[in-house]
Amino acid sequence: MTTRKFSINRQTLSRLPGYLILNFWVVFTAVLIGWILIASLSTTREIFTNTLLESGVHFSNYVQALITHNVGRYFMNSLFYTVTAGVGIIVIAAPCAYVLARFPFPGNRLIQNMFVGSLGVPQIMIILPLFYLSSLLRLTNSRGLLVLLYVCLNVPFTVFFLMSFFSTLSTSFEEAAAMDGCSPVRTFWTIMFPLAQPGIITVGIFNFIVLWNEFFIALIFANTSDLRPLAVGLYTMVQSMRYIGDWAGMFSAVVIVFVPTFLLYIFLSEKIIAGVTGGAIKE
Amino acid sequence: MKRNRTMMITFLTPALFSFGLVFIYPILRTLAMSFFYVRTVTDGWGKWEFVALANYQKLFASSMFIQSLKNILNIWLWGGLVVFAVALIFSILLTSGFKGKSFYRAAIYLPNVVSAVAMATMWIQYAFNSKYGLFHTLFSFLGMERLASFQWTSPDNQFLAMTLAYCFGMVGYYVLIFMAGIEKIPVDYYEAATLEGANLLKKFIHITLPLLRGVLRSSVVMWSVTSIGFFIWSMMFSPLDPDVGTITPMVYMYNLVFGRNLTPTDPQLLNAGAGAAVGVLLTGLTVIIFAMVNLLIRDRKLQY
Amino acid sequence: MLLALCFLFPVLPLWAGGAQEAEDAVNLVYWSMWNETEPQAMVLKSAIRDFEKLNPGVKVAIQWNGREIRKTLQPALDAGTVIDIWDEDLERIVKTWQSYAIGLDEYYGQSYPTTGGKAFGDTTMGSLQSLLRSFSTDGKIYAVPYQPMVLVAFYNKDHFAKAGIAKAPVTWDEFLSVCAKLKAAGYIPMTIDDAYMELPLGMHLNRVFGNYEAVEALAKDKTGRLWDDPRVLRTARDFETLARNGYLSPQVESNKWPAGQQEVATDQVSMYMLNGTWLPNEVKGTTGPDFPWGQFAYPVVDPAIGASAGTYGSQGFQISKKCANPDVAFALLAHLTTGKWDQEMAANTLGAPMDTGMDWPEVISDCKAVFGSLESWIPWSGGLAADTDAFPVIKAEYTRLLAGKVTAEQFVANIKAGL
Repeated sequence: MTTRKFSINRQTLSRLPGYLILNFWVVFTAVLIGWILIASLSTTREIFTNTLLESGVHFSNYVQALITHNVGRYFMNSLFYTVTAGVGIIVIAAPCAYVLARFPFPGNRLIQNMFVGSLGVPQIMIILPLFYLSSLLRLTNSRGLLVLLYVCLNVPFTVFFLMSFFSTLSTSFEEAAAMDGCSPVRTFWTIMFPLAQPGIITVGIFNFIVLWNEFFIALIFANTSDLRPLAVGLYTMVQSMRYIGDWAGMFSAVVIVFVPTFLLYIFLSEKIIAGVTGGAIKE
Repeated sequence: MKRNRTMMITFLTPALFSFGLVFIYPILRTLAMSFFYVRTVTDGWGKWEFVALANYQKLFASSMFIQSLKNILNIWLWGGLVVFAVALIFSILLTSGFKGKSFYRAAIYLPNVVSAVAMATMWIQYAFNSKYGLFHTLFSFLGMERLASFQWTSPDNQFLAMTLAYCFGMVGYYVLIFMAGIEKIPVDYYEAATLEGANLLKKFIHITLPLLRGVLRSSVVMWSVTSIGFFIWSMMFSPLDPDVGTITPMVYMYNLVFGRNLTPTDPQLLNAGAGAAVGVLLTGLTVIIFAMVNLLIRDRKLQY
Repeated sequence: MLLALCFLFPVLPLWAGGAQEAEDAVNLVYWSMWNETEPQAMVLKSAIRDFEKLNPGVKVAIQWNGREIRKTLQPALDAGTVIDIWDEDLERIVKTWQSYAIGLDEYYGQSYPTTGGKAFGDTTMGSLQSLLRSFSTDGKIYAVPYQPMVLVAFYNKDHFAKAGIAKAPVTWDEFLSVCAKLKAAGYIPMTIDDAYMELPLGMHLNRVFGNYEAVEALAKDKTGRLWDDPRVLRTARDFETLARNGYLSPQVESNKWPAGQQEVATDQVSMYMLNGTWLPNEVKGTTGPDFPWGQFAYPVVDPAIGASAGTYGSQGFQISKKCANPDVAFALLAHLTTGKWDQEMAANTLGAPMDTGMDWPEVISDCKAVFGSLESWIPWSGGLAADTDAFPVIKAEYTRLLAGKVTAEQFVANIKAGL
């Protein structure tokens, strides 16, 4: 017992520099976010003269941001895009991943490589023709277009991620189902799909975060006051705050955008992290 | 296992169709468009004028485009080195038995989860402000006057500021990846090395690095892809019109195709064909980097 | 769960499609350059609702785009989006989008409820109409102007009084002595933001060259020979003097707009080098309604050239070629820009009214004289923005000059190297 206590002390001491760096990093993040929080409760004049919160706490900034600046509408838009697209991605990617993982056929490897290769294509390479297509089909400035784009752009990564899950499942399930006379399609949706739940939930959450913060595609394809999601909406709000000189309001808008992600993250951090590492480690 | 062709086709088609729609068709069309003068992005190919390599020549003759390439390469190289170094240090620290590992890991990854627009606003409006900002207050408190009066958002320094802020947010992602990779390395190797009298550095060079090879390789590719798409941070630092210190190829293309902000756009200067050429060049750059990485970091399938 | 999803999908396109339209109403779609929370947007909203009440059957749908409209309008029009009316800065609206808009000369000849029997063209500012014709390729009028503006230097009248300065400077030398007096009284004389950074340089070059075409030629010059002109060096030396004497705020280098404006609004700096008549409106949240704003035109540098040229203009509305009801659209525009709503706009946005008989709001009252005195027009940035590659280089170098980081000779040399 005594030896263990002694070694912990020495170990802790030798780790002190490490703890210092880590703590400094975390404290820095906390201060950065904390100051924004405090500034959002002050007035613009106070921010510029560095006399924060001198005149008390101004919750009115948040009320202003929510009502006059339509953050509520941006929030609902983001919710719609993210949830709809998230579901759509799974519905299209899961069956595809299943087939690619379980059934060898000529062209299987080619398709897999194509999907993986597309992950390296910069978005700038594809948006111009997409814009042309959407204007041709008269789809510009509609919610459906953005959902369609989000789904199509994220299917390759999700397929790639889910393939590894499906390949680890035992084939005995399908064999048993076939013996029972279950059609392959039904087998997939009623047996295999639920079995891959952990992977599907993980990649679903990961996609959620990516779509929630998405900026570039929305900037090009959904940049009107009705359709903006939160990231572009925040960008617009920040720009407009500069024209009215309302910096306290700008910061409260930042907090409003930041809080949902933050809360989601606190509750689901383990799952999110699992999603990130799961996808990247597979070789 | 019975193979049912109908099922396979039904399951594969939606994904393949969406892939063709959003990747194959656009890539081919962008490639084609880069050889034409296209006035607006919505012109059908009847209105295109064939100019062969003129778009590419114009790009390389534009000093702002060259500057954007310089900027992106600097971000890729120096930013990459800094991010990977810091991430390696953190991941090694956190996998050597520190208390509160999950907490630190979650806290370090947090900036990556938050919208880049929000993070950039925090950095530009608070951290870098030369009157009431975080760095100014911190350095004044520590008595470092010269650093306290450092003008982060001036034209000379904003590239540094932008890269710093970007790297801060990106470190978390790589900490996660490296930690997962390190945790796969069996502890026995380290214990055997300690028994042989190896110190921390030797353990790092001879055990950790080689066995992380595969992870490092995919991380370099990941970093290359994301840094080539550098856009949001440039837009936040220069929201009105691009500056020398913040322009990147994607911003350059955005202005080329959609017009500028402060001064009225001369309609004759817009050229979606040149925008497409930027896209082709960037994709080419990604491919080159990918090939280089594959050559330099051979991933031998190691058994352990 | 899957069944529920299948039911959900068909329903979504309904929401995705958008609102339904009434059968027999006149529908106009207006894309605005304002953000919904700006004072101009509030006034426009009320004015439009007022018009709808006076003209039942007319419905106007508004999209508040903010300045992003500069990037999103043309692609949307090209993609076939229904947009009937839009607004933007006068120069931009004609030079960039003339081909999408209808000529309005015929409508200018008619009278409307707010013009008191006179033709519309007789009640709207003549100087802006001539400006509009000069922007277009065929001399026709393609927009309806509102919110006149002019670029001026802003100053704090209280600071001037306390420093013993009797009147605003007219020449460059007077300007320098004003700065010296302010500094002696303990104030920081002036500042500017990155967004407006190149304006003083452009104006100064116009004051020494006498026309903006020469400045445009400077910007487009790839060889650097035009930059050897002694007048360029003289301009650079003038600004070097400002920096050397400490007349500029230490933040001038890193001011990300609107930080510099806030410096003036919070009493820390006395003058803002060059800005538009919208400045008091933009900072009124910080200053309150009683800030002692004063304005003067950019000083005379070369007495032979004087100060009769300046950047002035306004915002303007345009009507799309594809508009199904151009008559109603123009009637709406007349309603918005003359008579009662012109006054409301001026009062609520601290902006200039179109009505030449009215006074300008107290905070920009000096601007009216400047606006009236201008005889020729200078483009934004004085012509420096003529080359999109050279412009950021010039701007960055000028910032260094103002910050005292380079000398006048280095300024010229660096720009030549960077062209």
